[in-house]
Amino acid sequence: MGATKLSGMQKQVLSLYRGFLRAARSKQTTEDRRRIETIVSTEFRKNSKEVDRKNFQYIEYLLRLGHKQLDQLKSPDMVSISSVKIN
Amino acid sequence: MASMATASTSLQARPRQMATAVRCFSQGSRNNLSFTLRQLPTRLSVSCAAKPETVDKVCEVVKKQLSLKAGDEVTAATKFAALGADSLDTVEIVMGLEEAFDIEMAEDKAQNIATVEEAAELIEEILKEKA
Repeated sequence: MGATKLSGMQKQVLSLYRGFLRAARSKQTTEDRRRIETIVSTEFRKNSKEVDRKNFQYIEYLLRLGHKQLDQLKSPDMVSISSVKIN
Repeated sequence: MASMATASTSLQARPRQMATAVRCFSQGSRNNLSFTLRQLPTRLSVSCAAKPETVDKVCEVVKKQLSLKAGDEVTAATKFAALGADSLDTVEIVMGLEEAFDIEMAEDKAQNIATVEEAAELIEEILKEKA
């Protein structure tokens, strides 16, 4: 994968992913860290498969949502995140 | 008369050509130097390329990050994509490398990395700046 192949939106997503992994790194215990990393990674991978790559509006919404969650995760008293599946 | 004149000029021209030819020959012995000059580019590329220990360390991190088997071959020229890594994996590899080498990679540069060697070169560049 070269940079030339990545669209601006893909770069935004990857940058968000980096942000999440960085935030996870800043957490105190390795246990918290691993948990966050696993959740973030599964979420990104799930969306990368499920979301249609042409569905820009939805991807943009997910990006905004992600940034909001990242801001919350960055605060030091936020220890972990969890994902809840609602059927 | 006119033809005579041209003949005389052509005669004058010839020795001049001889002279340049001789000059070329006298430089011919110096041409041996070009052998040493020709070696320079290769030497330069060697010093530009990453050290083997850096490459090895990068390979290790890549293997760990992609949870490859010990037997899987990862060399300097290996492309991350060839190992089945997508762009998200590449981000993870870069993050793993940052931790292993205790450095920070600029995002725009990190996104251009596609092979082990490119990663190793970027790491050495950063380490050099840090030192």
